[in-house]
Amino acid sequence: MLKATDLTKTYNGVAALDRLNLEVAPGDVFCLLGANGAGKTTTINLFLNFIEPSGGTAQVNGLDVTRQPLETKRWLAYIPEQVMLYRHLTGLENLDYFTALSGTDHYPPDQLRAFFKQVGLQDGVADQRVSTYSKGMRQKVGIAIALAKQAKALLLDEPTSGLDPKASNEFSRLLQRLSGEGVAVLMATHDLFRAKESGTRVGIMNQGQLKQTLTTAEIGHADLERIYLEQMHD
Amino acid sequence: MLGRIIRHEWTNLAADRTVWVLAGLMALISLYGVYNGATWSAFQRENIAMALDEERDRLAGHRAFVESGQEPASRFRNPLSPDSVGGSMGRRYAYLPPAPLAPLSVGQSDLYPYYFQVSTNSKQSFLNTHELENPSNLLSGRFDLAFVVVYLLPLLILALSYDLLSSEREQGTMAMLLSQPLPLWTLALGKIALRALVVLALALGFSLAGYTAAGGALASMDALLLWMAVVAAYSLLWFGLAVAANALGKGSATNAMLLAGIWLVVVVITPAAVNLVVTTSYPIPSRVELVQALRTATEDANARSAEVLSQYYTDHPEYLPEGEQPDPNDFTLRSYAVREDVERAMAPVLERYDGQLLRQQTLVNRLKWLSPAVVAQEALNDIAGTGLARYQHFLGVVDRYHDELRSYFIPKVSARATMTTADYDAIPVFEYQEESFGEILGRVSAGIVGLALPMLLAFGVGARILRSYPVVG
Ligand SMILES: Nc1ncnc2c1ncn2[C@@H]1O[C@H](COP(=O)(O)OP(=O)(O)OP(=O)(O)O)[C@@H](O)[C@H]1O
Ligand SMILES: [Mg+2]
Repeated sequence: MLKATDLTKTYNGVAALDRLNLEVAPGDVFCLLGANGAGKTTTINLFLNFIEPSGGTAQVNGLDVTRQPLETKRWLAYIPEQVMLYRHLTGLENLDYFTALSGTDHYPPDQLRAFFKQVGLQDGVADQRVSTYSKGMRQKVGIAIALAKQAKALLLDEPTSGLDPKASNEFSRLLQRLSGEGVAVLMATHDLFRAKESGTRVGIMNQGQLKQTLTTAEIGHADLERIYLEQMHD
Repeated sequence: MLGRIIRHEWTNLAADRTVWVLAGLMALISLYGVYNGATWSAFQRENIAMALDEERDRLAGHRAFVESGQEPASRFRNPLSPDSVGGSMGRRYAYLPPAPLAPLSVGQSDLYPYYFQVSTNSKQSFLNTHELENPSNLLSGRFDLAFVVVYLLPLLILALSYDLLSSEREQGTMAMLLSQPLPLWTLALGKIALRALVVLALALGFSLAGYTAAGGALASMDALLLWMAVVAAYSLLWFGLAVAANALGKGSATNAMLLAGIWLVVVVITPAAVNLVVTTSYPIPSRVELVQALRTATEDANARSAEVLSQYYTDHPEYLPEGEQPDPNDFTLRSYAVREDVERAMAPVLERYDGQLLRQQTLVNRLKWLSPAVVAQEALNDIAGTGLARYQHFLGVVDRYHDELRSYFIPKVSARATMTTADYDAIPVFEYQEESFGEILGRVSAGIVGLALPMLLAFGVGARILRSYPVVG
């Protein structure tokens, strides 16, 4: 579903992402691990066509994202590290607007409210202005927007940053459910524990390069942490 | 999708209190502008009506005197003499009535006299054309609706759209938006469309309100539509500039600075520079020179008065009553001959003077395309009938009327006729013939094209730059 081929991005001659080759199949939850500045956000931004690749290609469902940015975005949902919304609108109005732009069929209000329930936002929150929301609540609205879009692939850039442990856990379970429904997930995260829990595979990045890919089912928590730290040493 | 964006932008805009304050302020300013313009054209109408009353009473008095059969008290103020009546006693008013849309733009109408007292006297005696100001007045003047449109409306537009895209980027919603299958161009268009709808509704609403409040007739609806077309083209140009500035992907503060700079250049600096170029290229000769020439010409004609009179008889056989011989001692007719000779002698001097004004105007017409503000102002003046073109047309009408009066009175002077009541009734009456709407339409259409082209250019360049818009970073 998501495929990077020699995907490269350089800034002033310095590679932020260096010949990334990666494939995320439907049902896969691929977790990108790596230090700050390793190139995780760069990878996600390339898939969203927010930045132009210096080399290689990023494909969604077989289509090059630079050639068919609109078609590919129809299949993608994106949750950034900081979900930013229209502060003077309610959560529901935000969800309604972004969902309308996503090209999905129009949802009646009670269905939109159901998404709020799904992501663990209490009754009544949906009708409050976003300016009164905490960061975690905004993240949850971001998740609701992604759910409503019924995307084939999720691009998640540290989506659980700011979520409380319970919400984080719920999010992991949500990912497992979506994976079961055949959604491909590419998630950048710093949370080794969650990566092992909810990911099917993890990739360890360092200085723009994907150093190692592991299947989570085959390793334990301790192994993952050991391997990660080893990679960071180079 | 576009409709959804427009709806969303409306909620955004409506939630912003400053927008309402700005719109309210704009409403007040517009009403004040219309009030100013309406006051001025009402004042003009009143003065014209007063002048016509005075003229009617004066002529009725003279006519009554003729009817009574009394002997005149003075040879020089004699209601029976065509010389006296054709001169200052029976002077007639030639006036330029304010056009239906005059309340919307005072334009240059407060710079020039809008009525003259025409008689058989020489043109110089009533035409005060030489008070014509230099074109620095092209872009200033009264605080009227045209001023609001040309100067202030762009500021409202820029205030609403300087952060069109930059605000989305700064509040972080841009990435959320563009992760949807939404072309950036559609987003920009939707955001601009709502703002344009709001601004145009305001501007056109105020124009219409002002027009009706000032007693505008529905018959001149086509002029009003033309006015609105100019306002729309000019407004859209500023929206185009805002889009182009936002497409650069800079921050809101930078956009604000950039657009304020453009406003300054387009609305203030370029018009001033055009004026400077025009006045230094074609300076107006001094008035002293003109007065000097007039004096010399008069002295010269008086010295040659016998010869001048005989030439006059040759030039105007129609002034000589049938079967009569030219009278070289007709002192009355001699003064007419001298007047005409002076006019002829003055023609080249006046041409240098008026010609210079014409050359200035031609240059203005060529350079005005540099600043859409000048184009818009000129077009609005044209529609309101307060521009230079209509004024020059008026001067032509006055000129023809002057000739008409002369052809009516001078043969009677030369025949030493006595004015009868029937003669009084037959004195030509001034009637202003309006320019054809086609002529106005032609000039204004050129102006609209002159606004639409840079507008399309701004949107085109904006769309082009938008392709490499930095969504993140
Ligand atoms: N606009 C830019 N100009 C220059 N360099 C950039 C730009 N954007 C990113 N970089 C560089 O690219 C590299 C990768 O950055 P990226 O944001 O992908 O890291 P990351 O893995 O997401 O880090 P983090 O864990 O901190 O989010 C960094 O070295 C960063 O400095
Ligand atoms: Mg990052």
